[in-house]
Amino acid sequence: MKKAEFDFDRPRALQADGPPERRGLERDEVRLLVSTESGHEHARFRDLPRFLAPGTLLVVNTSATLPASLPARHPGLGPVLANVSTCYGGGLYLVEIRWSASEPGPLPLEVDDALEIAGLPARLIAPHPGLPRLWFVRVESDLRQAMERSGSPIRYGYLEAPYPPIEAYQTLFARQPGSAEMPSAARPFTARVVDALRAKGIELAGVTLHAGVSSHEIDAEEVEEQVLYAEPFEVPQRTAAAVTAARREGRPVVAVGTTVVRALESAWEGDRVRAASGFTRLLIHPGRPVHSVDGLITGLHDPPASHLAMLYAIAPQEMVHAGYAEAVREKYLWHEFGDSHLLLGRAA
Amino acid sequence: MNRTALITGGSRGLGRAVADFLAAQGYGLVITARGDGELEEAARALRRHGGAVVALAGDVAEPAHRRQLARAVADLGRLNVLVNNASTLGATPLPPLVEYPLDQLEEAFRVNVAAPLALVREVLPLLQASGGLIVNVSSDAARGGYPGWGGYGITKAALDLASLTLAHELSGVGVVAVDPGDLRTRMHQAAFPGEDISDRPLPEVTLPFWAWLFGQPREAVTGRRYQAQADRWEVAA
Repeated sequence: MKKAEFDFDRPRALQADGPPERRGLERDEVRLLVSTESGHEHARFRDLPRFLAPGTLLVVNTSATLPASLPARHPGLGPVLANVSTCYGGGLYLVEIRWSASEPGPLPLEVDDALEIAGLPARLIAPHPGLPRLWFVRVESDLRQAMERSGSPIRYGYLEAPYPPIEAYQTLFARQPGSAEMPSAARPFTARVVDALRAKGIELAGVTLHAGVSSHEIDAEEVEEQVLYAEPFEVPQRTAAAVTAARREGRPVVAVGTTVVRALESAWEGDRVRAASGFTRLLIHPGRPVHSVDGLITGLHDPPASHLAMLYAIAPQEMVHAGYAEAVREKYLWHEFGDSHLLLGRAA
Repeated sequence: MNRTALITGGSRGLGRAVADFLAAQGYGLVITARGDGELEEAARALRRHGGAVVALAGDVAEPAHRRQLARAVADLGRLNVLVNNASTLGATPLPPLVEYPLDQLEEAFRVNVAAPLALVREVLPLLQASGGLIVNVSSDAARGGYPGWGGYGITKAALDLASLTLAHELSGVGVVAVDPGDLRTRMHQAAFPGEDISDRPLPEVTLPFWAWLFGQPREAVTGRRYQAQADRWEVAA
């Protein structure tokens, strides 16, 4: 599929420049666009249970968000920003070095450059193949402690001050810290939404996928050739069994977030989801059909993002296109604090 | 103390890419390859990262050379990683298995199976002392049954089984087999003489895998076989 097929126009104003709470809304009062084969409906996120059939299994990401943006200093370039995408273990991290939240670079960086990240000595080891903005960086000390001391949530230029504290980035399901950026699809969930779902016979199960920095757009002309970096994931046995049972019994499985789709698909084998743990960089696109889920709750994605390739793999392309046209017409808000989109594919 | 690695076939291709990645991270290195000039050139480049690099030219199939490597490692004082990367393709151009020259098959077994095993034996105490990792570089030819790749493939299949058996037998050390996938290397070119292999990626494409592998606890990966270019790398769930 060509990159151009993922393009559309999103007016610049349609982006959330802060949490909905600042706009006087509860988390679950953001808008919900519901796209199914029979059309598109507009609702509030709180209305979600109305659109899901009893017996549906919702799978959520239990990853919690880290204050992964650290002040850094490069001897030749001066103050820069180190957005820590992924911890590889053994003192190695994948890091995006930027000028600032709003200025990505590129920066004239070289292998072996020494820099300070949150005051700690660090060294550039190698750029990530195919993603030259991301560097493998070696740090002798634990960056997690540095994050607690002097980190802030990764943000980009479209957010307006005052910038939200890390608590604003944690979802109701956040348990294991590890994401560089919020698994934002679950942000609108509140206890009352979960209670209403359970009352309707809709169960929840968890997987973990620690999301890295989101600044990896589709650069390749052919979407299938896009390079992704790997992210830590885990599908526990209980969730694997729950998804497999729902598939066998013909009950819908709906992923809350593209991270959940990536985790479940990474654990798909033949006709079931198995327990799995490791790193995945599985690219889901229309040429690589999705087996484990029928639907997806997600935010609104910008072109050209690999997330859109995933949407096309879950729902018919016309449905996604028409849904996005509705979202633009009805002035939905994009980005991590924006509005929500429920896509139900063929089976759900 | 700094971590150290012993890498065979370290002067070019995949071995050199891994050596470079580890040297940049401050690993002390012992590298070996048969070609003297290329090895020295590689060592000079690796030293630019600032760490110790011992380059010893020789044939890993020779017991005396393996002992020399083990002594060099002992001089560094510790060993965290052994990468058995040196391989021979065997007979080229790749003959059908039924026509394979048996002396060359034996030679391929000596280089691709016996030598890695013997090198493990030489450096095992140091690896165990550091809770280190043994990486045996395999190939998809070990499983594919590709016409022409039989001689090379059965040595790599044997190496895969050696890796798994060692993982079950040895304590205090991890053992993995790694299929790096098709790469734009001289060995790959030798398998496709005269063909354009520029569509294959450079060995650096595998760096994310090595970053991941060397960051894992040994017990999480031991006994596993990985594809470095795959879209996922798993540990025991």
